[in-house]
Amino acid sequence: MITLNDYLLVSGLLFALGFAGVLLRRNIIIIFMGLELMLNAANLSLVAFSRFGIVNGLPNYNGQMLVFFIITVAAAEVAVGLAIIVALYRARQTTNVEDLNTLKF
Amino acid sequence: MNTALNLLHLLTPESILVETILVVLIAGLFKATAQKRNMLLSLTLIGGVTAGAMLIFQPHYGNIANGMAVLDPLTRFIKVVVLGLSLITAVYAVQSNIRQHFAEYLALILFTAIGMMLLAGTENLLMIFIALEMVSIPLYLLAGFLKQSSASAEASLKYFLVGGVSAAFLLFGISLIYGTTGATSLRDLAQSAPAVTRDPLFLAGLVMAIVGFGFKVAAVPFHLWAPDVYEGAPTSSAALIASGSKVAGFLILAKFLAIGLAGAAGSAASSQLQPGWLPLLAVIAAISIVVGNLAALSQSNVKRILAYSAIAQSGYMLLGLSATGGTALISVLFYVVVYALTALGAFGVVLHVEQRRGGSQLHHFEGLHQSAPGLALCMGVFMISLAGIPPLAGFFGKFYLFAGALGSASQGGNLGLLWVVAIAITFNAVSLYYYLIVLKHVFVTPATHPAEPVTRRNAATFVTGLLAVSVFAIGLYPGVLLDPLRAAAQAANRKPVTAAPVQPK
Repeated sequence: MITLNDYLLVSGLLFALGFAGVLLRRNIIIIFMGLELMLNAANLSLVAFSRFGIVNGLPNYNGQMLVFFIITVAAAEVAVGLAIIVALYRARQTTNVEDLNTLKF
Repeated sequence: MNTALNLLHLLTPESILVETILVVLIAGLFKATAQKRNMLLSLTLIGGVTAGAMLIFQPHYGNIANGMAVLDPLTRFIKVVVLGLSLITAVYAVQSNIRQHFAEYLALILFTAIGMMLLAGTENLLMIFIALEMVSIPLYLLAGFLKQSSASAEASLKYFLVGGVSAAFLLFGISLIYGTTGATSLRDLAQSAPAVTRDPLFLAGLVMAIVGFGFKVAAVPFHLWAPDVYEGAPTSSAALIASGSKVAGFLILAKFLAIGLAGAAGSAASSQLQPGWLPLLAVIAAISIVVGNLAALSQSNVKRILAYSAIAQSGYMLLGLSATGGTALISVLFYVVVYALTALGAFGVVLHVEQRRGGSQLHHFEGLHQSAPGLALCMGVFMISLAGIPPLAGFFGKFYLFAGALGSASQGGNLGLLWVVAIAITFNAVSLYYYLIVLKHVFVTPATHPAEPVTRRNAATFVTGLLAVSVFAIGLYPGVLLDPLRAAAQAANRKPVTAAPVQPK
């Protein structure tokens, strides 16, 4: 029997992996993928909470509804993010964050 | 069916803004002429002012789908403020160096305005997240709008990456809070939160949500994006990021904490420390004040100075938030609104200098009092107000804020927050240095640049002057802003429970 804690564990792992990807990787595209992983980790935990959060014999559907919105928002964010990456690539010919050093302290 | 109609009724101003966006975008398709930018701006302003008028004539209270969209006097006040700030940004945009796709630029400003208005008018975690993204995503694009400039693209990317991570943190925090309490509406959350304040999952969610909000309001240690974005983004975009999104961000942070999580506040008083969000907020506030003010000292670019000043000001606002209570919220909102007006005005002056002299380094401001005496005076007003010197508005903002923080009874008697207030006042003295350095370049240092022709008046300088006058007027008569704010907050608190909700079935 898979319990809520198992889902939360996976979700937490996904979030940590995504965050590690954002912090450690140097390629903007990979960082971007880490970002998506973090959002999907939240989706997973929302669905799990929703499924196991029984109120009056029914799952609490608010969480599942939120997930649909998050998927949409994440898609919008991907569109904008890729556009920004393309703009940056045209200006700099690079997708490495270490080359982003025009603006500095 | 009734709910949909009510929703449409409640969100009429936002709907008008959407229609304005469509009109502006269509008008932008026609052949470019010299008058086109002004024509597009007029369309935007007409739509915006209509939306503002609709806001004022709306019913006093509304609550749809369990807090998804709420309306009360305080919310309406903040909605009017963020709409006005966005429209001023649009006026700035005409004078900026955005030559291509101007209609799209205005449309994005309006999209941001819609997001901020929705954000101000919601008390539901779901809607908070979506509205926050509706603010952030257009702002990423506004920051990167100068596609040829590599600084703009870099600023946009940094803003996007940091903003995306913060959104993910906020979302994960929301999911944990939702999971442990089963609530998405802040009012429901307030009822179920006290039962789980010791639940580690709930506390983790709380911390992650505060981290997410901390990124949005640029508090230390989540501030690193701010200076780069302020410097690299087009000045009119930076002005919107500094003013409007800050007002909306602080209002929603205040609602989230004060309405939803009042039961999990804890205590930051030095004598009786209790875990909760108050001590966390107080510590973040203190670090923001210290780091922001110290880092601003060594900057040579006025936009970066403004960015670090914004970080420090965030610290002051967080300090105000950590002093919960009825009057404290008003003093925070007063401070935020005054700050937004001041920062917007300062960016107006920066915009002028940038257009005239090709940069926003300190030396570009030399001798400004000769070439544009009016703007130099405005800059003086803004800087001195930011530093918090009477009789300008910033002084009263700080005064109410610190008085509220010291007097908050919820902190276990008086003077519980004295340690943060002491830090804040000390570093406020430090901040005087860099504000006066800017003024020194404006007024004292002789111009090394070749003299330029005396400035023609234009809409942007006019608006900047207007902002300076309003900062001055609020300083002389704080009641101009404080009284409506107080009345709105009291009216919002008096909200009759039976009259408000229109529950969907």
